Amino acid sequence: MQAFSSFVQKAQQLLDPSQGLNLSDSDRNPSKASLFQSQFRLPSSQHPLYEITAELTIPPANATQGDRDRDRGYQYAGKLHLSEAFLCFSTTPSSFLQSASTSTSSIFTGQTHGSGPSGNGFTFPLCSIRRVERLHSQNFQFALSISTWNGISQDAAKEKDRKDLREQRITIQLAGSRQACERFCDGLKKGLRANVGNVGKMKQVTAECYSEYLLRPEDKKNAIPPDAGLGMLFKYPGDPKKLRDRAKMRLWAEYLRDNGRNMTLLRQPTFHKLIRVGLPNRLRGEIWELTSGSLYLRLENPTLYADTLSKFSGKESLAIDEIEKDLNRSLPEYPGFQSDEGIGRLRRVLTAYSWVNADVGYCQAMNIVVAALLIYMSEAQAFFLLSALCDRFVPGYYSTTMYGTLLDQKVFESLVEKTMPILWEHLVKSDVQLSVVSLPWFLSLYINSMPLVFAFRVLDVFFVEGPKVLFQVGLAILRINGEELLDAADDGAFISVLKSYFASLDESAHPKSENPKLRAVTKFQELMVVAFKEFSGITHSSITELRLKNKDAVLNNIESFAKRTAIRNLGPDSKLLSNDELGALYDRFYGVLYERQQRDRIIKQELARRAKSSRSRIAEAASEGGHGIEKGRVGLGPSTSLMDYDAFREFLAGICKWAISDAPSTPRRDAVTEKEKGFYGSFRRSDSLLSPWGAGSEPADHEFLRRLFQKWDTDSSSALTLQKVVSGLARIKGKRDIMGTINYFFELYDDDGDGKVDREGILRMSEALLFLSRRGLEGTLSPSNSTLTLSGEGANNDQGDVLGQPVSERFLGSVSAFIRRCFEYADPDHPSNQDSAVQELGDKLASTDLKEEPESEQLANPDAFAIGDDDDEDDLLAMDSPTSSPKAAAQRPASNQPPPPTIQLNSPTTQLSPGDDIAARRRVSKAQSEKANIALDPSNPLHITLPTFRMVVLADELLEQFFESAFPASFHLIDGIAGPTSATTSTAASPLTTFSSLGFGAGRAANPAAAAAGQGPAAFGAAGAAVAGAGGAGRGLRGVLDNIVTDGMRVAAEVRRRMEEAQRELERNALPGQQSQQQRGSGARDDEDDEDDEELGAPPGAGSAGGNGKGAAAAAAAGAAGRYAYAYGGDAERRSVRSSDRDLLTGADAEASDAAPVGDVPAIEGGVVGGGLGEGGSSSVGVSGGGRGRAAEMGTGKVVGIEFDG
Amino acid sequence: MADSNAPKPSSSVKLVLLGEAAVGKSSLVLRFVNNDFQENKEPTIGAAFLTQKCNLPTRTIKFEIWDTAGQERFASLAPMYYRNAQAALVVYDLTKPTSLIKAKHWVAELQRQASPGIVIALVGNKLDLTNTGPGGGGDADGAGAEDSGDARKVTTEEAKTYAEEEGLLFYETSAKTGYNVTEVFTAIANAIPETSLKTARGPGASHAGGRAEEQRVNLNGPRDSNAKEACAC
Ligand SMILES: Nc1nc2c(ncn2[C@@H]2O[C@H](COP(=O)(O)OP(=O)(O)O)[C@@H](O)[C@H]2O)c(=O)[nH]1
Ligand SMILES: [Mg+2]
Repeated sequence: MQAFSSFVQKAQQLLDPSQGLNLSDSDRNPSKASLFQSQFRLPSSQHPLYEITAELTIPPANATQGDRDRDRGYQYAGKLHLSEAFLCFSTTPSSFLQSASTSTSSIFTGQTHGSGPSGNGFTFPLCSIRRVERLHSQNFQFALSISTWNGISQDAAKEKDRKDLREQRITIQLAGSRQACERFCDGLKKGLRANVGNVGKMKQVTAECYSEYLLRPEDKKNAIPPDAGLGMLFKYPGDPKKLRDRAKMRLWAEYLRDNGRNMTLLRQPTFHKLIRVGLPNRLRGEIWELTSGSLYLRLENPTLYADTLSKFSGKESLAIDEIEKDLNRSLPEYPGFQSDEGIGRLRRVLTAYSWVNADVGYCQAMNIVVAALLIYMSEAQAFFLLSALCDRFVPGYYSTTMYGTLLDQKVFESLVEKTMPILWEHLVKSDVQLSVVSLPWFLSLYINSMPLVFAFRVLDVFFVEGPKVLFQVGLAILRINGEELLDAADDGAFISVLKSYFASLDESAHPKSENPKLRAVTKFQELMVVAFKEFSGITHSSITELRLKNKDAVLNNIESFAKRTAIRNLGPDSKLLSNDELGALYDRFYGVLYERQQRDRIIKQELARRAKSSRSRIAEAASEGGHGIEKGRVGLGPSTSLMDYDAFREFLAGICKWAISDAPSTPRRDAVTEKEKGFYGSFRRSDSLLSPWGAGSEPADHEFLRRLFQKWDTDSSSALTLQKVVSGLARIKGKRDIMGTINYFFELYDDDGDGKVDREGILRMSEALLFLSRRGLEGTLSPSNSTLTLSGEGANNDQGDVLGQPVSERFLGSVSAFIRRCFEYADPDHPSNQDSAVQELGDKLASTDLKEEPESEQLANPDAFAIGDDDDEDDLLAMDSPTSSPKAAAQRPASNQPPPPTIQLNSPTTQLSPGDDIAARRRVSKAQSEKANIALDPSNPLHITLPTFRMVVLADELLEQFFESAFPASFHLIDGIAGPTSATTSTAASPLTTFSSLGFGAGRAANPAAAAAGQGPAAFGAAGAAVAGAGGAGRGLRGVLDNIVTDGMRVAAEVRRRMEEAQRELERNALPGQQSQQQRGSGARDDEDDEDDEELGAPPGAGSAGGNGKGAAAAAAAGAAGRYAYAYGGDAERRSVRSSDRDLLTGADAEASDAAPVGDVPAIEGGVVGGGLGEGGSSSVGVSGGGRGRAAEMGTGKVVGIEFDG
Repeated sequence: MADSNAPKPSSSVKLVLLGEAAVGKSSLVLRFVNNDFQENKEPTIGAAFLTQKCNLPTRTIKFEIWDTAGQERFASLAPMYYRNAQAALVVYDLTKPTSLIKAKHWVAELQRQASPGIVIALVGNKLDLTNTGPGGGGDADGAGAEDSGDARKVTTEEAKTYAEEEGLLFYETSAKTGYNVTEVFTAIANAIPETSLKTARGPGASHAGGRAEEQRVNLNGPRDSNAKEACAC
């Protein structure tokens, strides 16, 4: 799981720290906005826009404490903050400092107030402010008098006559430069104006606050009290007398009268004291709502609760089932929850929350917490408070992995170890795990552990002071029971000590004391004192620190547990893979998803930030997203566990060389948009920061990948689960038997599962074979090259291209042979046609006999058939004398047909003929090919069956090896493949195998038929504009492909089409500088970055091209200088990546294939060549389109044109 | 807890119940501890802790039972509870095949992550819902029930074969009727090797320490093993 943290690091590296973004690890370095929000418990929509040092003056009338000044009332120095909708003041300077300690935050409020709204001051929604006046005072340059809506209904006229009305008015003196003060005031003015509309909302929200009722004016004496929880119906827990509820209520009434209520409440020291002694029953809910900040959530969206309920009414979910099971066991001892009324409220709140936060849904213990809340507050209030709890107070406690719970247990354990080392040692010795005892304390916020009345007292403090209270109380419990716990030696004893302690909380802590006052102190009071005095050092920041420290370990544990679980539950297919492979797959699967999620988030936030920063000054605010709710990591709870196609590509690119695109960092476009507007080509975002592939290179996109995806996606949900991926891979890698792999491959192309693969499928198969092999073959390959007769003999080795006939080149031959044989042995679709089809085939084939037909001779003559300049890739079409592969020949069934032209590999030394008349040759070849290919004649539908496919594969040693080992071996589950970046950049240093160099790469979902598009003549015209680079690649193909072409096999067309793409890519990306380099024939050009929109069309000489850049070294190594040099020099492979607008081509293909006769080889060639040569952009396309009047051609021509235009 | 002064040696055994939600874990414990069957009113947070003694001819075993919470998400807390357990009851509902899959998962988890010597019993619960029901005799029961269209979905054979392969105790029970419930616990008590029993914890510290040592090696649980190292006897 190390991987995950490195992802985070990677993500961080993507960020420019100077921009103040720190999104991937919000905990470690919380943004100012999130600190601000948690200080004042504001919704995440709020950002600190302005702040200024200020002095708050509360007039004597409503001052209950503070520095008394006869003239000026009570004064507090602090900071005034303005956000979008709030004006906040706090004396606690700690808000933005993680290092803040109790001492810095307890100046006014006693020593235990570490964070949150615990300082003195206020949190006014701007809509609660009625009027702000600038005071003209000699003393103060800038003093504001603020009066609020406190106690005033909107019907202001009526209010004026009210005798008991005391308008709340405070004064704030700003301390700052004149400019700063002006700025603040401007902001405030704007904010006030913007929030005027919310006054109604505020009134609506406060109407549900009990304080409004408590302080209601005389004339409303008979008003109905708002819902203050089930307690109003079923009595509040505890004896009100014992709780001194009435006295508390009076004190609160007085405080609220003096200091404002709910939205307009001023926090003074008495406020905190009143909370510490326990809230009165009817106000408890409201004060919880206020101190937790859930009141502001409700203010933001007062109807969310009701809306959610009605929106999802009648709907079912897993969470609802789970909730249902627990309704009867949620505080069953409280009468309210023995009634339908209470159960109904509980059900509704839990259900509504499970809908709005589906990630959390429902977690056991929430039932208990919500039940407790409902005793004191309305459903809506409880709903929002639950929200605040889950998001801010105890994040991750109730998540699907409960990581927050486990983390806080870890934190708690380390605090115990630190503060009570002896007890800790005892626990360790007696092998008692503390968390089995303490976990329920935290998870249920003590509600389930202590008698309710005491648990509520803890909650009173918890909501105002935050989660540190849970730790303080927990530590105090252990400290107080230390002696007895030291005697307990097992879980049972430990539990029973604590059980009896909790049961005796209302008893005297010092029953035997002589001192009656001391005797009167209950154990609970003692607990509070110990918690908040003795453990006052436990602050928000110390907890935060410990959480951070332990977070990774906890997440790792959860993740390894999740991983074990997941791997065990992967189903029977997973047995075919080793445990290590499964483990690696698991890591990769979630790694890719996580990384993508992080990237997405960063990109989104970055975009948002930019958008915002261009509009306003609050850029920093905008950059803070999601307000610290982390997602993505498995351990954090529900993360994506579904892999879409793009993620699948990325996943494969991590384990398969062939799945890496050949071009670096082309921005991703998803399939849809790509089809729609993708023809605009691969515009490059200037900012690589936003690359959707992160630091890695772009994964390839190829029809084969899509097929694989669809095959694995067994239920056609367009998403893969880990299980599907494992099953998919198990079939490829699991059994490792060649027949299985062959069958699998066949199935991939047997779209309708009828056991037949048609012409189209055969071509696609061969295309895939080329795609898969373009970076070379892996596994153990026999060094023999006997399958093919190769004129250029040389050492063959797996690396390919050293001398003579590299494996991959031989493989190309094998693929040609494959196609040929497939067609040869294919069954006609309609038996009735069979004879004629065969006959026709025979005739045509005969007519293509190179030695007989004059035109064929052209084909036979490489020079004659060479297309295009020697400088150009036309040479890829150059033909050599045909030589049948002996093996192929041997296997040919006895028949009277002349052997179809076989695919023969040319001598690698084929020379380019610079002066050739391309056009002429091309015309010839076209005519020739038209006749040539009966197999491709769409009027003769045919198909192969699995046995045929098998036979054809097994007829070729190399293909056999491909299915036997190379293909399965190309999935590197455990080690993966070298970093994606290196895969791309390595092109220069260590050339990929010939195919890629030749430009086969660029796996694109190409319909071969589409190749028929661009037409020959057009292409010829364009040929003049050819570029050296691609030309080099083309030359590499000469001699390889000759007979393929002769054969009319479309694989050649395909190859060339890719060349074309490579070419186009080159055009698109080559820089002028590069071009001139090419022209000069200067070598060493190795940075793809300098390829940009190059104007193509320079006809470099073959020689110069040979000396080109990256190609040079490789060429030398290969010993086939001219050809290979060109191939590499052209660097077509890398470029072809960008030609990777495969999707757009898929679209084009589909379009073209309908109209284009599959068998029209010349057309194909022409198209390919045209595309390949058609440099320089749309002009050549125009030519291409116009050159031939055929619909399909036009179609492709257009496509190309658009692409070029782009 | 004070050492009981009973004549027979008494030792405590930590036992954990694992299994899919609603297979009847809590009901089994309740039956064993209180000989009672009722809807569970106890809100379980994390896990419920109960104890019950089991008298064997030669000694008394005091079971310290951790009944883990039912909800799926609590599964990630399970390592905390099986951490140093000497015995485990892995329960499935024999009317629900998926619950056996889940049970197998727990068995694998325990075998790999829990104390090496842990005694595991596989328990198929809700036997009363099958035609044969409780009261009949063990294996023959289950075998006959399969084809008679009752609620049984997991055959005795299947589970039993699996249990034998994995070296687990195997019982089919009904918490509702009480059938085979005590038997399970007694079988477990008997299966606990004498050596791994600590007689009343304090004095048996060396045992405990030894066990803790093993834990450290085998456990990847959330527990801070570094901290534990400090104790190492
Ligand atoms: N018929 C029958 N129902 C049972 C049996 N054991 C438990 N149940 C029921 O199954 C449900 C889940 O039981 P519970 O003990 O809560 O399962 P737990 O989630 O595994 O603890 C409850 O409704 C029980 O009444 C049994 O042996 N027979
Ligand atoms: Mg249970």
